[in-house]
Amino acid sequence: MITKHTSITALAVIGLLVAGTSCKRGHDNTGVEYAPQMYDAVGYEPYRQIKPNTINPQGLNMRLPARGTVARPNYHTTFGEGSEAKTDLMMYNIPADSIGIAERVLINPIPETEKSMAEGQVLYTRYCSHCHGQTGKGDGPVAAQYKGVPNYATDAYKTLNDGHIFHVITHGKGRMWPHGSQITPEDRWKIVQYVHKLQQG
Amino acid sequence: MLLVSSGQVKAQDAAAPAGGGDAEKGKTLFTNNCAQCHSVTGEKVVGPGLKGIETRAPSKDWLHKWIKNSSALIATGDAYANQVFNANGKIQMSSFPSLSDADIDGILAYIDGANKAPAPGPTATTDGTSSAPAAAASSGPSELFTFVLIALLLVMLLVLGVLLAIVSILSKAVSPITAEDVTVVTSTFGQRLKTGLSDAFNNPTLRSIVIWLFLLVAAKETFDGAYSIGIQQGYAPKQPIAYSHKLHAGQYKIDCNYCHTGAQKGKNATIPAANICMNCHGVIKKESPEIQKIYTAIEENRPIEWVRVHNLPDLAYFNHSQHVNVGNVACQTCHGEIEKMEVVEARSSLTMGWCIDCHRRTEVNTKDNAYYDKLVALHRKESKEPLKVANIGGLECSKCHY
Repeated sequence: MITKHTSITALAVIGLLVAGTSCKRGHDNTGVEYAPQMYDAVGYEPYRQIKPNTINPQGLNMRLPARGTVARPNYHTTFGEGSEAKTDLMMYNIPADSIGIAERVLINPIPETEKSMAEGQVLYTRYCSHCHGQTGKGDGPVAAQYKGVPNYATDAYKTLNDGHIFHVITHGKGRMWPHGSQITPEDRWKIVQYVHKLQQG
Repeated sequence: MLLVSSGQVKAQDAAAPAGGGDAEKGKTLFTNNCAQCHSVTGEKVVGPGLKGIETRAPSKDWLHKWIKNSSALIATGDAYANQVFNANGKIQMSSFPSLSDADIDGILAYIDGANKAPAPGPTATTDGTSSAPAAAASSGPSELFTFVLIALLLVMLLVLGVLLAIVSILSKAVSPITAEDVTVVTSTFGQRLKTGLSDAFNNPTLRSIVIWLFLLVAAKETFDGAYSIGIQQGYAPKQPIAYSHKLHAGQYKIDCNYCHTGAQKGKNATIPAANICMNCHGVIKKESPEIQKIYTAIEENRPIEWVRVHNLPDLAYFNHSQHVNVGNVACQTCHGEIEKMEVVEARSSLTMGWCIDCHRRTEVNTKDNAYYDKLVALHRKESKEPLKVANIGGLECSKCHY
């Protein structure tokens, strides 16, 4: 009988030990922090908010930049070298509905070099290829869901000029939505160069 | 003459029932120019399905004009053209001025032929053969699973047996069975537990075992707990919208930079604003309740409050562009296999030791970068090892703490 008593007791102790050690914090728990005043920023940080922001609208930490401001880091205005250098402020005010003006007026300010073409390809892969496909045939993995993605090398598309492509990336056209907020004008022009290459099939 | 020509028509019947067009050429033209927006069946894609287009449209001449330049036809005030334009959400159809009348006839012949073609038969047989090995494959892992389960049960029983044996030997050694103990059988569970506990408590061997076990476990827990302070590895909070990286980055292969536009350019990788979601979801899966949350946020002009997963303390500086753009470090190096995560989880510990360890191991990407030329030359004089991040200040305190 002692065997029975002792075994019950032993099982209870083992059970308690197992229960004690198997407690893990849930997936929604960040765990314990030591000295959080060193972890949390005093100033307002983007994407991190410890206390609600009472100053900005909707409690946001970030605010939209004033209209017309230009981000200065990596902001270039001169393209090409020597006598072929071109100056362009990389600011476009052609409204979304004026694709005709863009077609007539815009010319790619970035001279075509191997480097700019390679950069264009990287940017194209990053921002366009999941719909338009690696080779511009409109066969990217998303296109199967999205429908209506054209093939750059077909009759209606292979002659589209600089201004048209730039305008479509910036403001979108048909089912494609505007991508101007994601891609800087300089990067857009590099993509335009690469799209011209894909138009040749 | 009449006989010959009717014979020709019969021979061509299957290929070009509409008459005139070359269906083979039409198929190529259709795939290249039309398939992105139209299906040959009645199903609407972007534009209407093209089944029975020739009977629907006013005339073949009208179709020629429409395909070559639909906007011009709409501008003439043509009633049917305007009706079609309005019925399809006023989406302008691309113009195809380079297609000749014969080309268009070929496309029409292909559409007609595709709708008359019998349903493909072989698919049923391939389905039958493919299902058999699939069933066999599915029964494979379940057998293995049962085997493992039985083996585990056996091991558990063995362990239990050994435990019982040890306990019985211990208790026999301590006090032999007396007549008093037999009477306890009739007592309640509480009384039995009480006697059991007092017996165990009075047993010095058992007592010391329990005390030592307790001390060891407590010590381990204390150390583990102390080391996990401030570490959020495994943190996978529920987000306001059930966004799946597995679907977007894994299945649809959307580049990380498409949404996290800041990773290459700045300190923050940035969380995409609703307009980037809308680039696709303005069209795809609009009716899903999760995606409707984005629509509501936009209508109410209210930001979506995503929960931050990777929290680096403010006392340490980290810059994405420095690592991703200059250092060519893949996102997965720190964030784990994001493209396989349904819910994003903090995979790395983000401790200082973790940072430093990588800085010690990682070679600097100096190729084709003039900035490093002199540094590499200087480094070569002193060491035969390749230039590591640690050699260019990757271990300096003030590099990250200031």
